[in-house]
Amino acid sequence: MTSFQSTLGEDEGMAAELAENQRAISIAEFFEKNKQMLGFNSGARALVTAVKEAVDNALDATEEAGHLPDIYVEIEEAGDYYKLVVEDNGPGITKEQIPKIFGKLLYGSRFHAREQSRGQQGIGISAAVLYSQLTSGKPAKVTSRTQGSETAQYFELVIDTDTNEPEIRDESETSWDRPHGTRIELEMEGNMRARQQLHDYVKHTAVVNPHARLELKEPQEHFKFERATDELPEETEEIKPHPHGVELGNVLKMLSATNSQTVSGFLQTEFTRVGKKTAEKVIDAFRDRHFGREMAWTPPASHEDGDVARAVSTAVSNKGADATTAFADAVADRVQELDRVAHQHVGRFVDEEAERVEEEYGKTFGGTVRENAVEAAWRAITGFDPDEPDQSASEHLIADAYALADEATSKRKDDETVRAFAERLAEKFVPDPADADAWRGRFTRDEVREFVDRSADMTEEREDATFGDTARENVTTAFWRVMRTVPDDAPLVSDLVGDRDAVSRLVHGMRETDIIAPPTSCLSPISAEKVEAGLRKEYDAEFYASSSRDADVHAGDPFIAEAGIAYGGDIEAEGQADLLRFANRVPLVYKRGGCAITQTIKGIGWRNYNLDQPGGSGIPNGPVVIMVHVASTNVPFTSESKDAVASVEAIEDEIELAVREAARELKSYLKKQQSMRKRQKKQNVLADILPVMSKKVADVTGRPDPDIGDALARIMNNVLVEREVSEGDGEQTVTVVVENHSDRSESPDVTDIVDREPRDVSDGANVVEMDGEWFVKWTPDVPAGEEARLTYTVETDATLDLSVSEIEGPKLTVSD
Amino acid sequence: MSDTQDSNAEARQKLVDLAAEFYDQFERGDIPEMTLPTRTKSNIVFDEDKKVWVYGDRTSTRSANSVRGARKLLKAAYTIEFLARQLEEDRSSTLRELYYLSESWDNEEAQFNGQDESNKLVEDLEIVSDVKREDFHMRPEESGATLIGPLELREQTRRGERVIHCQKDVGEGGYQIPNNPDTIEFIDHDIDFVLCVETGGMRDRLVENGFDTDYNCLVVHLKGQPARATRRITKRLHDELGLPVMVFTDGDPWSYRIFGSVSYGSIKSAHLSEYLATPEAQFVGIRPEDIVEYDLPTDPLGDSDVNALESELEDPRFQDEFWTEQIELQLDIGKKAEQQALAARGLDFVTDTYLPERLDEMGVI
Repeated sequence: MTSFQSTLGEDEGMAAELAENQRAISIAEFFEKNKQMLGFNSGARALVTAVKEAVDNALDATEEAGHLPDIYVEIEEAGDYYKLVVEDNGPGITKEQIPKIFGKLLYGSRFHAREQSRGQQGIGISAAVLYSQLTSGKPAKVTSRTQGSETAQYFELVIDTDTNEPEIRDESETSWDRPHGTRIELEMEGNMRARQQLHDYVKHTAVVNPHARLELKEPQEHFKFERATDELPEETEEIKPHPHGVELGNVLKMLSATNSQTVSGFLQTEFTRVGKKTAEKVIDAFRDRHFGREMAWTPPASHEDGDVARAVSTAVSNKGADATTAFADAVADRVQELDRVAHQHVGRFVDEEAERVEEEYGKTFGGTVRENAVEAAWRAITGFDPDEPDQSASEHLIADAYALADEATSKRKDDETVRAFAERLAEKFVPDPADADAWRGRFTRDEVREFVDRSADMTEEREDATFGDTARENVTTAFWRVMRTVPDDAPLVSDLVGDRDAVSRLVHGMRETDIIAPPTSCLSPISAEKVEAGLRKEYDAEFYASSSRDADVHAGDPFIAEAGIAYGGDIEAEGQADLLRFANRVPLVYKRGGCAITQTIKGIGWRNYNLDQPGGSGIPNGPVVIMVHVASTNVPFTSESKDAVASVEAIEDEIELAVREAARELKSYLKKQQSMRKRQKKQNVLADILPVMSKKVADVTGRPDPDIGDALARIMNNVLVEREVSEGDGEQTVTVVVENHSDRSESPDVTDIVDREPRDVSDGANVVEMDGEWFVKWTPDVPAGEEARLTYTVETDATLDLSVSEIEGPKLTVSD
Repeated sequence: MSDTQDSNAEARQKLVDLAAEFYDQFERGDIPEMTLPTRTKSNIVFDEDKKVWVYGDRTSTRSANSVRGARKLLKAAYTIEFLARQLEEDRSSTLRELYYLSESWDNEEAQFNGQDESNKLVEDLEIVSDVKREDFHMRPEESGATLIGPLELREQTRRGERVIHCQKDVGEGGYQIPNNPDTIEFIDHDIDFVLCVETGGMRDRLVENGFDTDYNCLVVHLKGQPARATRRITKRLHDELGLPVMVFTDGDPWSYRIFGSVSYGSIKSAHLSEYLATPEAQFVGIRPEDIVEYDLPTDPLGDSDVNALESELEDPRFQDEFWTEQIELQLDIGKKAEQQALAARGLDFVTDTYLPERLDEMGVI
């Protein structure tokens, strides 16, 4: 991007010259020059992108209004151009809004909403309009009918690229056969080279939107994708922003808009997951940055020079000996109780004890007296004597500083060096009566670090020692840890609004504070069942698995990863698995390689899940479709064209877990298949061997060939279903014997279809007549190693047709 | 001749019975199977009555329940058919011929993958049908071993009966033991004891030195691990002529096993121990104590030798004081010696000193 900045010190004449050429460019103009960012960089791609933007909008609009989407897409050749028509049954758009939605870039209802939706930036459809007008010169034709209105509105629009405002070319009222909905017609340069991507987009959209009906009419073909469910996705709730996910600019805007007066109130009302306690934690973090912390020293021992009681008592005059002593002793006692004492403590103790003594002795300890007492006590604690100019740090401060520095630095530093360093550092903390903050020992972390750096630099120079960055940081941390957050009130919201730096400190405070993850009501995952339903609808496979993870958070935005796998059946067995990527229910068609979803799938060891994966990494081979859906209030994309999910560790981890969950199911299915295949193989071999063997033994013994059916069934651990018939007086008794030779209980569905009415049906069979045929159906529970005998009677000339289901083929032997 | 026919018919009937058992299993809807004693060291027990080692109670089952088992049974069915026909036609064949013959069977699954497989199957059939391989008219490939000494016998050959004196009527090579020694009838003998010798070199030394004539000894050449025919004739010599049987081998673990199979019966053919083993046979040497006593030239024990010795310590057939002592001594000295190591003391040492002394010690001469 061009830089419009001129740096300081540059020739003024040059700047003036540049200024003449500088002017604001309209967003429309900008995107006109950067089509690739929005996915309109080639004719083939433009058509796909336009369809995608229009269909995404249509789905969002219909769902939001609670209608089951019914979307019609038509692509027609129109001379040198293609005409694209997209129609939906959404709620329609009001007359006033139509020009803005289609004729103004970055206009949308969703940009500010923290809610999962397909479109987010409000660029997509207007960018398609822009592309069409730039390539064909034709306006976009929009028809929309709102629910309940008699007529529809018709507009012909173009975008004024200088102002990013819609320009209405034609406007009229019209009639439309849809009761409500919107239709857009665009003519644009394009080609159908990306037909495959277009089909993928529409088919994949159908997979993740089983509640939608889609139709795609092309010059050559006409596809219809019917609904698989009448259930709309659950409505999402808009949530307030999470403190971890907001930027400085947003917070500034929110501060100027809020009704709250205090920062605490602002945090609690404008953000999700912030209560009083959390707000207080954020404000403390803000205070540390805004005000700095106060250095806290160990209280001086009574034998040391700094006798707090004596200092306080000297500072108080005219209050009588008893009251003065009681006051001074009480303050000194309070100080002694603490491990470390900061200026704020002294102030508080003086105030509290003054009030107590006032009450007890009837003397007034006014503001000046108290101030004097605080000053005297603080001097005693820090060992500072204002009468000595340029005073060095007291032994007490040096000892404190040495203790902290010694613990924070490595044992290898020699004692002399550390002591010299501690002396220099303590020096920096000597109270300065001329500076209110420095007097109270109030510094920011950066200032503390600066003290440490200066002292360390000097120590390196004078003592010829090394004082590395780690040691410096450790010492800084050690000091910062003993320093106390100040009790000062946070500024009011009104003070913050104009103070960009202060707000920046607040944003940092928000990020630093641990806050629970945002709620997930703002998300609309597809759900594991519907992921499977969607795959079932579009892929004729033999096995499906799906998973839907619990919500997680990245950068303040909640997200959910879902995965589905379809295997076998009609899925192409040659080559790599098909990978279907979705973000917020929108299929991602381009930039497959650069997508975090693809990378994650490639990183999984698919051999562990019984799939072929050449080289042990990459997309697995075989008849597999793997789909991944990422739903979030803010899916991180690699670019504005929203083709690929950016690599974010938290999201990649969840994708992997979701995929692995589904893959585990696939594995157990494949394993079972394998054992079934083995069983089938065994069956084949035995079915070859045993008849030959039985014939041999019959030959040797000179007997007829034996019946080996039962033995075979037993060997296969099979369920053998046989029909025995005993004929009598014009009717026959049919017995269906179910022998379970397996090692577990079986409940097959056994159905005999007869063309005469059966009688005396045993074991509570279900008999259904259809077109002159009776379906006699039993579902007997046959324990391992036992048999069930199911009987009925029917006329002798009836034809019978036995079938058995609900049992795996290789385990079943039926002899009719 | 009618004897042969009877025995053929009997063997054949037993095979047919076996096939009939499979047939009945099919008919009952049972999974065809064949149960055999487990043929491992841990499943042989000493039969107190017969004084031989036989299979214990543990069995393993070949069942058509698995592809492997079904293939085995199919092969068994084919082999049964083949053997039954062979008996019917009064012909015979070698184990190796059976293996090659299976190549011509119409079902590939029935063909043998190797000779080990067909040999083992014939042994299995021996066990389940209680008919000896010889009675199925199955011969091993190699010609039998030889014996030499003052024995006169009558042998049934395909060319009629022959009377042979095993010292006078034979060359230095001796009399060749036929595959089925039960076709032999002992007529007369002048034998004091039978000496079974492991190696050809030692056997030739004894014959050259005239040991068989000097001591009225029948020298049986074992040719390494003795064939069934050699063991059978040894047993008959002991049982029918009441002769002491002495075994003279190298002094290493493998040779002790040779003695073991003469005396106690082998693990592989424990079902025939009663028929093949000579429990009264005695071990002459080379004993580990001889290595020490005669200071014989030796080789060090290899790892496999040590393993074999240790395995023999656990072998129920060697669980007696003599063997435990000898094996432990050998493990201790870590050495082994061949029979011919005695030549270090002169070519006549074995016939003039070693054997006379040892046999005298053992009360044979």
